Amino acid sequence: MNRILLAAFALLLASTPTRALDGPVEIVRETSNEIFGQIELSREHFEENPDALRNVVRELMLPRIDVVYSGRLVLGRAARGIERDKVIAFSDALSELLIERYATGLLEFRTRDQIEVLPLEGDNSERMTKVRTRVTLNNGKTAPVDYVFRNTDEGWKIFDVIVEGISYVATFRNQIGEQIRADGFDATLERLKAGRLDLEVEDV
Amino acid sequence: MTLHNALARFSTLAAVALLTACATVKAPPPEERIPEDPWEPLNRNIYAFNRGVDKAVLRPLARGYDYVTPEPVERGIANFFDNIRSLPDIANLLLQGRPMNALRMTERFFVNTVFGIGGIVDVATDAGIPDFDEDLGQTLAVWGWADSPFLMLPFLGPSTVRDTLGMAGDSTYDIAWQRTLDSAKYYPLPLDIIQLRARLLDRDADLDAAYDEYLLVRDAWLQRRAYKISGESATPDYDALLDEDPWEDDPPPGDDARN
Repeated sequence: MNRILLAAFALLLASTPTRALDGPVEIVRETSNEIFGQIELSREHFEENPDALRNVVRELMLPRIDVVYSGRLVLGRAARGIERDKVIAFSDALSELLIERYATGLLEFRTRDQIEVLPLEGDNSERMTKVRTRVTLNNGKTAPVDYVFRNTDEGWKIFDVIVEGISYVATFRNQIGEQIRADGFDATLERLKAGRLDLEVEDV
Repeated sequence: MTLHNALARFSTLAAVALLTACATVKAPPPEERIPEDPWEPLNRNIYAFNRGVDKAVLRPLARGYDYVTPEPVERGIANFFDNIRSLPDIANLLLQGRPMNALRMTERFFVNTVFGIGGIVDVATDAGIPDFDEDLGQTLAVWGWADSPFLMLPFLGPSTVRDTLGMAGDSTYDIAWQRTLDSAKYYPLPLDIIQLRARLLDRDADLDAAYDEYLLVRDAWLQRRAYKISGESATPDYDALLDEDPWEDDPPPGDDARN
């Protein structure tokens, strides 16, 4: 009996580092459970210290986001001829802003039951998958939030978020493209780093 | 102040806004425009005009309304106007060949009108009755008119040629409009407009901070519209979004692309 328990426990421990190899649906479910678990533990603390919540969200989300791929999609042709380091710096700044926005929005939710993860459906492949969730807002209405994943060497990772049909990548691609055309890459990167570029796509 | 006077003042204000707008608008040359928005320069001008009117008149009114109205009252007023707009939803569900959904929507209207004190309380949502938001523009799209040029309407905001026709069609059986026409004295149309605007106040910061407001509004509206028509969020063609110059760790393009 003890041996079986021990074996099960060892298996549980062993499975932790390979979590990155989970399927996309499990990743969305686990990540939101973890984040809401933290919020439920210390909501008041987070309401007073948005930075603390941002750190928690960053720690839990960042390993599951394909930051550079997402950044390259937003940049598109504007990345041409730009040094790789700068593209990476740009991507980091972009995801940092996104995480900040996400963390701020999270406190609006009272319980984790307000997020329902739907089973996979539609156009999915070995390479790309869209996980659909339904978020119940405090006024009782629901809003669709979809996470788009790609299969990387480190497992499935998110690279786009689609809120009510509005893709973060597609929308900010135009904003950023316009800005780079007008002000140049370096100025845009500086602005982004300073957090002066707005990245809200939610229209709910 | 009579309605006529108010209108006269309003149009002066609007003209000023339009003049200011014309001076600042930029638009790409035709070959760089997206196919969905062939009339971008015109649309940008109208957007700037709308935004001028909004900043001068509508937004201050909405802010005032939001400030003096307690949250539950505001929600009740919003529910009331949403409920009164159920009829076009039902008609369009039928036109789209979705009788069961139309039935659910009728149920929603009935429950909210009778048990929700004329629509002020949204008891239907609490009872788990689904909500549908369908208009004639969406119906026309379902019938096969898939693509239509983007059109920014003065005062009314983002639309397409198809959705403008749809809006005109919907207004013939929209009881809210009918009441306005029949007895302009009683239907609180200004309140409706102000409450609609007040619900968007939270989004203003995003708009103000956007690099190109017009692009943000257009892109977001077009994507959301496509979502409303199909009921499913479309995934952009990500392979096409990437720069053609691949990083060496990228898989070759087209290799097991989405089904």
